[in-house]
Amino acid sequence: MSSVEIVPLTPVAEKLRERFARSPLASRVAVVDLDLPTLEVSPADWPAVARFLRDDPECSFDLFLDLAGVDNSKRRGRPSRFEAVFHLLSLSREEHLRVKVVLPDGQSPSLPTVSEVWPAANWFEREAFDLFGFDFPGHPNLRRLLCHDAFVGNPLRKDYSPGQRWFFTEEDLRMPDWAAHPEEKAGHFETQTISIGPSHPATHGIIHLIARLDGEKIARAETQIGYMHRCFEKMAETHTWNQAIPFCDRLNYVSAMINGVGYVRTVEKMLGIEIPERGQLVRTILSEFSRIMDHCVNIGTNLVDIGALTNFWYLYQPRENIYGLLEACCGARLTVSYVRVGGLAIDVPEDFVSRCRALLESIPKFLDDVDRLVTRNRIVRNRFAGIGVVTRDQAIAWGFTGPALRASGVAYDVRRSRPYDFYDRFDWDVPIATDGDNYARYLVRMEEMRQSLAIIRQALEIFPASGPVSSEDWHVVLPPKDAVYHDMESLIFHFKLIMEGIRVPVGERYDWIEGANGELGFYAISDGGRGPYRLKHRPPCFPMMAAYEKIIVGGPLSDAIATLGTLNIIAGELER
Amino acid sequence: MSGVVDVGVKQPRKLTLLERLYIPEIVKGMGVTIRHLLRNIVRIRNLPTILYPERRRDYSDRFRGKHILTTRADGTLKCVACYMCAEACPAECITIVAGEHPKIAYEKYPVVFDIDMLRCVFCGFCVDACPKDAIWMTRNYEMAFFNREEAVFGIDKLIAKPGLPVKDGLGYRPYYPGDGTRPPADASSSPVIPGDGERELLREKGLDLHHTAGPGPLNAPSPAEKRSRAS
Repeated sequence: MSSVEIVPLTPVAEKLRERFARSPLASRVAVVDLDLPTLEVSPADWPAVARFLRDDPECSFDLFLDLAGVDNSKRRGRPSRFEAVFHLLSLSREEHLRVKVVLPDGQSPSLPTVSEVWPAANWFEREAFDLFGFDFPGHPNLRRLLCHDAFVGNPLRKDYSPGQRWFFTEEDLRMPDWAAHPEEKAGHFETQTISIGPSHPATHGIIHLIARLDGEKIARAETQIGYMHRCFEKMAETHTWNQAIPFCDRLNYVSAMINGVGYVRTVEKMLGIEIPERGQLVRTILSEFSRIMDHCVNIGTNLVDIGALTNFWYLYQPRENIYGLLEACCGARLTVSYVRVGGLAIDVPEDFVSRCRALLESIPKFLDDVDRLVTRNRIVRNRFAGIGVVTRDQAIAWGFTGPALRASGVAYDVRRSRPYDFYDRFDWDVPIATDGDNYARYLVRMEEMRQSLAIIRQALEIFPASGPVSSEDWHVVLPPKDAVYHDMESLIFHFKLIMEGIRVPVGERYDWIEGANGELGFYAISDGGRGPYRLKHRPPCFPMMAAYEKIIVGGPLSDAIATLGTLNIIAGELER
Repeated sequence: MSGVVDVGVKQPRKLTLLERLYIPEIVKGMGVTIRHLLRNIVRIRNLPTILYPERRRDYSDRFRGKHILTTRADGTLKCVACYMCAEACPAECITIVAGEHPKIAYEKYPVVFDIDMLRCVFCGFCVDACPKDAIWMTRNYEMAFFNREEAVFGIDKLIAKPGLPVKDGLGYRPYYPGDGTRPPADASSSPVIPGDGERELLREKGLDLHHTAGPGPLNAPSPAEKRSRAS
């Protein structure tokens, strides 16, 4: 913690230190400046620091973003084996903050829960309990989340051998305690506990919702997830930096391109390389098309769930055409694997711009049709308006980001708050709504698609007709094939890059972009080896799924299905 | 940069009487669907829904489907068993066992080259990794198997038979016609070196061009040894 004096602090970190200097915790918090201002605190001080960070008007870190456990046992330079790394966001100042809670060695890792300070921390802490074995005294429901109940060990600890298999049978399934006993009220129908899912057409993905029904109203609910957990983070640790790119496609598979962009941007920041303008614009254009696809799928399937099948076909046609464009660029429709650290796998085809323009022509027609059928439709209104209401304060407390947060009245969009690539050069609006219900989320998504079209239109105007799409740093990017075949030096670069992988400098980085669902973050730690030492993905729909069981209480079961749809839960990114 | 737009304000919460009456809205909705119906009848041969398998989607020449192993002019595999594709593969689905080719100019060749198509994620990293232009992908995406053993494609299923067309056409590959890349020289056109085809014999006499006699760190294990080691 002596690094306070050594590392010169950025203005933000300096301000943070001043703020702390005035608090009673001054002597016990170390402010370090890494890529983000970083606090180091001990577990005992953590709840007080958390409260201060949230409540102090000059701090006001009101949105809980992420909790990443880190096992330092195979890494040098850290004071103890386990750390809990929190990422927080202040919505009013649009600043990020990292807090490292250093868990002392010699005892089982334990830190007090902050799920009362930020309700969003609830599931993140359960995840850390599950994957790292951290204990959170005071946590209301500390059970495994991603791994099943018959699982033994904590898979993200470095001493856990990934080859082990744990078989899960029906006998191992543990229902929550409250669900085991039916509740009876005098003069009332017997309440009933039912399971929706894991495999149910309306859960879109494999999600297990346990609900206690009182008549038709949901009295209590709990969701169990993890059926699609593939341990992306452990796999990334055992592969090279580039090999993790195909895995990223399978996070939010509805807008696979954006995940890849988010991941490689994090690695590029760590390497300190810039990619050419043309490559950045291709990434922007395809990311925005992916966002449109994501919203199309979301709205389309959501309307199917409430009985409006026709719109599904109208919204899937643009998606189909966008898949055609992606396939022409990179050779795959869904799992694109198009980005590489330092650029793109291959230049776009010659007719890229004309194909994009054709899409820009055709997509609005489908959106208009859906608009005409749905937006002022009375049945849809009855199913959406006033249902699944998330107020502004709730949305912040539950850690919402993206369209769901904007539908609750907070104009936070990463593309606006910290414009990356060319977003600050384009003229576009951040759509918000204030009601926070299903209808507001639907409206925000519809408008976002139109704004994405506007962004693409402007990006095509400044799109250079030719030029490189990838950096020419041959320590990072594979040299052109012609050189590899005929030039010994290029062949050596090629060989080194394939066999050894990219050498990312020792350090850590949290980088975030606007995913289709909200803030998509990647927290990467490098120890200078072949691949990530630790890679944590901040899935935007994870906090929303955590809040889902609270949103639906009090409403009928049929509304719960409509709400699940508008929150846009993608199991691939939820469970990683 | 621009501002923030409140979409909730643009959509008044209250529906008009006409909208609440259902009937005009139903007529309006039917108008949209019937327009789609009529348009689809007109373009019945060009619908977005494809009647697979009678019709197939046209994929680009970058499509990442089943792999092929390319061959030299004399029909031998271009692959020199350098393991770079196996190393680059994120799914670890490529198994290679290297052998020493009797023709000295070819040096190494794969005795076994297996791709487990059930593990493969079709990312194309193997194509990017190959320094010898030996592995390409095709537009063939129809690979149904009855069991897991069948899903492991060996050289017999992967080799691009010289002179025969590739099923469904070529897909993702390291270079395309007209992009200025000169393919690597074909080793089969290199002159015959004295002793070609007699490596074992030469080694017994201690005359091998690439290996000194006797055991040493440079001596590669024979293909049979490698096979037994791999199994």
